[in-house]
Amino acid sequence: MSPLVQGLLTIFIGVGGCVGYFFLSNLILDKVIFPTRSENPGLNINRANLVRPWLFLFPAMAALGLYLVYPVIGSFWRSLYNRSGDEFIGLGNYMTMFSDDGFQVALFNNFLWVLFVPASATFLGLLVAQLTDRLKWGNIAKSLIFMPMAISFVGASLIWKFVYANNADIGLINALRDFFGAEEPLDVLQVRFWNNFFLMFILIWIQTGFAMVILSAALRGIPEETVEAAIIDGANPFQVFFKIKVPQIMGTIVVVWTTITILVLKVFDIVYTMTGGNFGTEILPSYMMSYMFRDDGRATAVAFVIMIIVLPVMIWNIRQARAEMR
Amino acid sequence: MDNIAGTKSSLSWAVHISVVALVVLWLIPTVGLLVSSFRDRDAITATGWWLSPFSVEQAYRVQPELDGVTEDNGYSVLEGNLFGAEGSGEVSGFGITARAPNAASPGQVYARFNVDVEEPDGTIDDTRLELAYPVGSDPAFPETDDDGNRILTDTAVLDRSLEAQVNGDFRYVSEGELRRAPSLYVTSLSPPRFSLENYRTILFSNGMDVAFINTFTVTIPATIIPILIAAFAAYALAWMDFKGRGFLIAMVVGLLVVPLQLALVPLLQLHNKVGIGQSFLGIWLAHTGFGLPLAIYLLRNYMVGLPRDIIESAKVDGATDFQVFTKIVLPLSFPALASFAIFQFLWVWNDLLVAKVFLPSNSESWVMTVKIADDLLGSRGGDWGILAGAAFISIAVPLAVFFTMQRYLVRGLLAGSVK
Amino acid sequence: MTARLYAGAAALALFAGMAHADGHQPFAVGEGGFSWDSFTAFADKYDLSGQTVEITGAWTGNEKEKVDAVFSYFESATGATVNYSGSDSFEQDIVISTRSGSAPNLAAFPQPGLAADLASQGLLSPLPEGSAAWIADNYAAGQSWVDLGTYADADGNDQTYGLFYRVDVKSLVWFSPIAFDEAGYDIPETMEELKELTDQIVDDGGTPWCIGLGSGAATGWPATDWVEEMMLRTQPPAVYDQWVSNEMKFDDPAIIAAMDEFGYFALNDDYVDGGSTAVANTDFRDSPAGLFAIPPSCYMHRQASFIPAFFPEGTEVGEDVDFFYFPAYEGKDLGKPVLGAGALFAITNPSEATNAMIEFLKLPVSHELWMAQGGFLTPHKGVNPETYASDSLRAQGEILLNATTFRFDASDLMPGEIGAGAFWTGMVDYTTGTPAADVARGIQERWDAIQ
Repeated sequence: MSPLVQGLLTIFIGVGGCVGYFFLSNLILDKVIFPTRSENPGLNINRANLVRPWLFLFPAMAALGLYLVYPVIGSFWRSLYNRSGDEFIGLGNYMTMFSDDGFQVALFNNFLWVLFVPASATFLGLLVAQLTDRLKWGNIAKSLIFMPMAISFVGASLIWKFVYANNADIGLINALRDFFGAEEPLDVLQVRFWNNFFLMFILIWIQTGFAMVILSAALRGIPEETVEAAIIDGANPFQVFFKIKVPQIMGTIVVVWTTITILVLKVFDIVYTMTGGNFGTEILPSYMMSYMFRDDGRATAVAFVIMIIVLPVMIWNIRQARAEMR
Repeated sequence: MDNIAGTKSSLSWAVHISVVALVVLWLIPTVGLLVSSFRDRDAITATGWWLSPFSVEQAYRVQPELDGVTEDNGYSVLEGNLFGAEGSGEVSGFGITARAPNAASPGQVYARFNVDVEEPDGTIDDTRLELAYPVGSDPAFPETDDDGNRILTDTAVLDRSLEAQVNGDFRYVSEGELRRAPSLYVTSLSPPRFSLENYRTILFSNGMDVAFINTFTVTIPATIIPILIAAFAAYALAWMDFKGRGFLIAMVVGLLVVPLQLALVPLLQLHNKVGIGQSFLGIWLAHTGFGLPLAIYLLRNYMVGLPRDIIESAKVDGATDFQVFTKIVLPLSFPALASFAIFQFLWVWNDLLVAKVFLPSNSESWVMTVKIADDLLGSRGGDWGILAGAAFISIAVPLAVFFTMQRYLVRGLLAGSVK
Repeated sequence: MTARLYAGAAALALFAGMAHADGHQPFAVGEGGFSWDSFTAFADKYDLSGQTVEITGAWTGNEKEKVDAVFSYFESATGATVNYSGSDSFEQDIVISTRSGSAPNLAAFPQPGLAADLASQGLLSPLPEGSAAWIADNYAAGQSWVDLGTYADADGNDQTYGLFYRVDVKSLVWFSPIAFDEAGYDIPETMEELKELTDQIVDDGGTPWCIGLGSGAATGWPATDWVEEMMLRTQPPAVYDQWVSNEMKFDDPAIIAAMDEFGYFALNDDYVDGGSTAVANTDFRDSPAGLFAIPPSCYMHRQASFIPAFFPEGTEVGEDVDFFYFPAYEGKDLGKPVLGAGALFAITNPSEATNAMIEFLKLPVSHELWMAQGGFLTPHKGVNPETYASDSLRAQGEILLNATTFRFDASDLMPGEIGAGAFWTGMVDYTTGTPAADVARGIQERWDAIQ
């Protein structure tokens, strides 16, 4: 059997199995277990509706439980053990970590990243989404802005090497400096503190496309009537945008913001390939990766610190969700 | 009214210009990569990609073959063309040491003399002197050398000399017998060089077709399955009322942040235990698990924003949740489904780590990223040209997906159904 | 007349090598200077048809082709199938696969530290009985190779796990003979002469050294090699061993002095291409390019024997570029120390065919087959040096065999957190201005923390 046929067959079975589960399970629920065409349809519908959420949720919960919750619990347990995993040391890993200078630097830098990257990417994404919304060539513009999303992190790091390289013949920034008369090339990635921002630009450059796609879909979901009504009332384009559109997509903005924030706490590739965490650019994910598979006790401890950092974001989202449901 | 039309058009100009500016800003780095993907490794590190369309002055070392050496008065004479018998070019400068490859201009002779100098205290010393002078004239020696010693011009003995013309014809004279090919240096404008070699290496390497198909085999189910599962879950979390809903939503957000690396070892262990092992089934499940939190999160958010009245009126009309979901919510959520599909597709398409862990390591089950990273990039991954080419090949398909999906992010789909 | 043109500011290219890959066997059995006798005897002894040996390692691309060619002879001798897969992220992959029970049969570890780690977790199987004695007898300085391959198992008992295969000599300085010739420089025989030459090049208006520490997440490692070389050239080997085992603290004056010896070259803006700030982030793969530039951006580059893989395409070692032994101080009477590193095979999942493969790797012919493809040095005493692909490789092999002192890369022997962590980043800090004493103290603190 050729690999192509094999591939197609597997796709068919995989997707078919999924569709089959939802269709059949609902069919069985409605027709066999609690048939609506029975002597007591009302009761059966209510009973079915009690079960149905879990029918809807079951595959997702099973996959999440198995693929994420179970490893997380195992990892938490692991973080209480020493390097080789044979001695229980309680919070020892957390203690040594917090007293480590490298960790403090990473924590501070990550704080900068969390403040700066989601805000910039969301803002730029919203800007592009709005500006291109009614543009004739908007789709092309969007595709071009979206392009960095499609490039792997390794490819992206290479691209930015051509921008940042400490050599006027390779790096664009130094070529420009050279053009304007600077004598010595400058390694921007070695400029303490600011080098963090140079690395952040890379992620912003990538993630603006993400924000743009989601926010663009949200903008298009806004009922035309609300916008038309505002225009008839004499609102100018800025008022329409800030007073009518933004409030209506606030939920989506929160989602985009949250997603990018979480990404910032996960992406280690950029720092890893551009500076290897040197020159004071370490962030928590790259700090974690430098221990991962070497000292798993420490690596998992970092992972849990990252998860704790996300708590406020989680709470914010629950509030938002509660507010929506009312 | 005219006034309003005026501001409108100036505003639209502002929009056009700022979008162009943003796009250009966003594009510059990518253009760098695109240009680099057509250059070879040597060229990439030699000159900036922005200079690649132009001819650049480059210095070359030429080691002409030693045929046709003639003997003249104790000197060997070698004549020929610096660009070789078939080559052609324009000499802008030439020299006899790598340190000064353009010491002389075409039409000149560049020569090295051994000469005596007189130091201020009267002692005589010998030194080497290199200078350029027009063909046919005598060398004009300076009064003193670099250290300020007086040059005794009469003692000058030619060691070697090179004369060259613009077309590359040269005449090299060297004292004694020439045993090894001399190293001559020439600078000339070299025309831009672009080639499809990187793409050829990637696309036509052995087994790339299999890798391409494998990537699709992994990507398509790993995109569609999580969407299906997540859509149902998202609907339940958005529109069904049951205990623990808030907790579940919080959990989904919390799980977004779980680093994948934590999950790899326990999951592969599990797969081995239940007999899935390293297989396509395993990788679909893994991608489904890892992609679900974002899928549920994005879709739930979108669905919760759907107009309440349509859904409630449908329920009043006696539709079950399953019917509401498939007939109303799913079609209305198409923009969100499409956007998530794009992201999941991209993520799976570009993934290297999960593919390495959950697929067998033999070359029959390599996906493109593994093939490129471990087979084509070469030892310690240093070939920038291949990397650039690979990045563009891997962009092509996701970009096509993006274009197709973009049609589904249409306006009015929702507005129309509200009416 | 054909002129050979070299791009002036040349860049990097994969060394074309001699491999005729795609599973072809580049050398006909029975021909050439190879030790075919042992091969035929081996082939007669084993019939493993239908069995498979799964192998992973860090050799990818061009190196994978070469090692695949070697394995193809095992296949034709035994009838077994060999699946070798190379990975750039080998260190991570092997940990994941051994822990989750998907381990291959054999793994080729690029350095001993990780193998020792896995052995202590019970994830490796010892080499077949008698291997330690065999290595001791058949490798030059055999016992030291046994020691480097012997680790504590999960119960703390020492067992021999590693069979070294492919060794790199690090104590080499690469230079362009043409550039040296034109400038009239002689190859320095002592460290004192090397320092003189360095100054002379500066006086002549050139830049003597190219140094690059960049290597992504592993940025800094080339500097650890420099410090190790300097340790061997300023301290007796016994002190080096104490340093490796941390009997001597990292912030000992001896080690700080060795760092400053590296700083003598790397921190002097006149001595290094691009000035000392360029050192920390220039990629080590790109840094030798300066040797080939016209005009040369540097004249010397200290790097291990594998570096020709990153020279510009078409570069011929021996003609366009050559090497000399990184010399020792004449005034210190420490002999001619040589620093090296090497890859080792260890069994991650035992089987009959795997043991046969270990036996195959002990045959001189399995070493010769890669030697002849280039880029391979071996401490195996039974090989025929005639099979080295070039005189230059043979000369490197001789440096290895003639060393009065051979020491293994210290950073590879230190615990991962230090040798592949704190030491790397510490050296980057050092080249960007942190004093050696502070760097050394920081590394020792990290070391204290893991003990």
